[in-house]
Amino acid sequence: MLKRHLLAAGLLATLAAPQIAAAEMAEAITEPVTITFYNYNLASAGLGREATLGLIEEFMRRNPLVTVEPIAAPSNEVLSRVQADMVAGMQPDLAQLVFRDLIYAAKELGAEPLEDLAGEELAAHSVGMVPNGLALGEVEGKTYGLAYVFSTPVMFYNADLFRAAGLDPDQPPRTWEEVKDAGLAITKATGKHGFFPGAYGPIDGTFVYQAIVMSNGGKVRDGNTLTFADPAAAEAVAMLRDLMDSGAHARIDVGAHLDTFQSGNLGMFLWTSAVQNRLIKAAEGNFELRVAPMPAFGEKPTAPTNSGSALFLFSKEPEKQRAAWELMKFLTSEYAYNEITTKIGYLPLRPGMVEDPKWLKDWVEANPMIKPNLSQLERLTPNIAFPGPNYRQVENMMKEAMTEAVFGSGDPVETLKAAQERGQPLMPAE
Amino acid sequence: MTVERGSPAFRIAVHGAMILLSLLAIFPLWWMIATSLRPEGEVFSTALFPASPTLENYRAALEALPMPRILWNTFAMAALTAAAQAASGLLAAYALVFWRFRGARTAQVLIALSWLVPFQVVMIPNYVLATRLGMLDSLAGLVIPNAAAAFAVLLMINALRSFPKEIVEAARMDGAGSLRILVEVIVPNLRAPLASLGVLAFISAWNEYFWPLLLIRRMEASVVQIGLQFFMTQEGNDWGPLMAAATMASLPILALYLVLHRQVIDSFMRSGIR
Repeated sequence: MLKRHLLAAGLLATLAAPQIAAAEMAEAITEPVTITFYNYNLASAGLGREATLGLIEEFMRRNPLVTVEPIAAPSNEVLSRVQADMVAGMQPDLAQLVFRDLIYAAKELGAEPLEDLAGEELAAHSVGMVPNGLALGEVEGKTYGLAYVFSTPVMFYNADLFRAAGLDPDQPPRTWEEVKDAGLAITKATGKHGFFPGAYGPIDGTFVYQAIVMSNGGKVRDGNTLTFADPAAAEAVAMLRDLMDSGAHARIDVGAHLDTFQSGNLGMFLWTSAVQNRLIKAAEGNFELRVAPMPAFGEKPTAPTNSGSALFLFSKEPEKQRAAWELMKFLTSEYAYNEITTKIGYLPLRPGMVEDPKWLKDWVEANPMIKPNLSQLERLTPNIAFPGPNYRQVENMMKEAMTEAVFGSGDPVETLKAAQERGQPLMPAE
Repeated sequence: MTVERGSPAFRIAVHGAMILLSLLAIFPLWWMIATSLRPEGEVFSTALFPASPTLENYRAALEALPMPRILWNTFAMAALTAAAQAASGLLAAYALVFWRFRGARTAQVLIALSWLVPFQVVMIPNYVLATRLGMLDSLAGLVIPNAAAAFAVLLMINALRSFPKEIVEAARMDGAGSLRILVEVIVPNLRAPLASLGVLAFISAWNEYFWPLLLIRRMEASVVQIGLQFFMTQEGNDWGPLMAAATMASLPILALYLVLHRQVIDSFMRSGIR
């Protein structure tokens, strides 16, 4: 972790060259052009890589003048790779970056605002997207990142453990109170763990945590002011602490949640639906896997945030910009989401496809586990990225404080307040 | 009741403790191999032996990665890095120990200080230079930035300081030049520290992750640590193929250890565990 921070610091210090002024995007591709595509789904074996390679191949088949050079990097390293190549004078064209990097990519790395680049084409392309679809990648009113592969937090649960604890698996917990009761029942009856949210890291962002906080009416920041210790946000963390103190919340290694659930030792697991295919495989022959929407605070509507990534266009040459924009449109088209949803397991940014027999209707009927996630799209709430060059440090401070507030023995609100005070000076001035 | 040293009870206790420690040391290795042989649904089993062993994970790993190619790349990178570090360390140490020149002490201190600079700090300038020299995706790009290491120079300085100066003087009086003294007099008598340095540099290069991650873009040009990462994602790890790939990746190091186990142990004893 320290090495990664050193690497990021080195890159920040080195990336001081002013960005080249953008030229106007070419109207059409008239001669052969090669573009780079930085992608993290390509950096690991499996369905994500195969589906992405298939999409790139299909795009090149449809656009014979364009050659796409895919560059694979793990999701937590892809930003470093983009920065390093910029420093080395190899301007990236298109990059898949996680949402936490949104503001940094827009303000420091020179990602192109799509309204300025593509104007009416963007408006036409966004028809049919979820209402908040473009907002996921907006910074100060302009779209810098086009939501690509994304998901919302859903509650996976082990129906066998529910039955063993005398619970009805057809009635999964809807509220946090019910999560507490179910967690305690599972722990008491089976000796296994009750509940765990994938909210504490070490590798994932803070989207599950933010979804819980925003479902209680809180926010982690307001403008450049940190607010993760304000009452509504802190109450949400105090609720998790109460689950922990009661025994309903598992006290396990924060990086071992997925393995614990896959091994059948955890009753309820709140995390991204992107792991659904993996969980289905792990559960086969071992336990019955089911999925429910994320729990609510009483009657308050939940605010599911987005995990995953957006596409950022960095090309500075008009022809490459056109090629990258065409690839961007293709990767967020109905054809692409059909592949992405059915093969990788992410959500379609275009919900109309779910009812369309040409696209996902039959698949959704055959794979009902995606339904709780689709139902949450109506309330999709953009994940909040942090601004300024210290954004990762601030986010880590918040995450560590939240983890300490839940797992530690001190007062959770005071722990959050102390971290908020320490983190505020790292935020940009108003 | 006291147990005398050398008594059967003492020996049994000592051997018992050593057997226990050996089992503890071997257990992770065993678990890696056992997991690599488990079918997908059994990966999280805590049984000591796979209930229905399969080579499916090896097939998956070999299908997903060009494993022989990656192992060869890693071996070539590690061997060349180790050879280059031994050569550059030896040459620099010879000059600093046997030649008297102004600034020798300062040079030595600077070399020692450079050891304290984390590689991540110089990684980006190295990357920019390597890119401009056209070394992306190349074995040369992997080896050259690590061809000289402060650790190698310091280890060789220590070895040469304990080398009898009289022998060097005698060779010089017989008319031998520096290169001949180095090659014909010093190197044959410095096999143990050179082997130690070679082993440590080889293992260190074998385990290198960040530099290949930055420099290499094609899996065919990649190394084993990047290959292992291929089975680890933010959305969980593919434990079966990962353990199969890790087992295959461990074999060369294990073979090296079997052949050179005395030198490996000596290396760690001489230099402290890095």
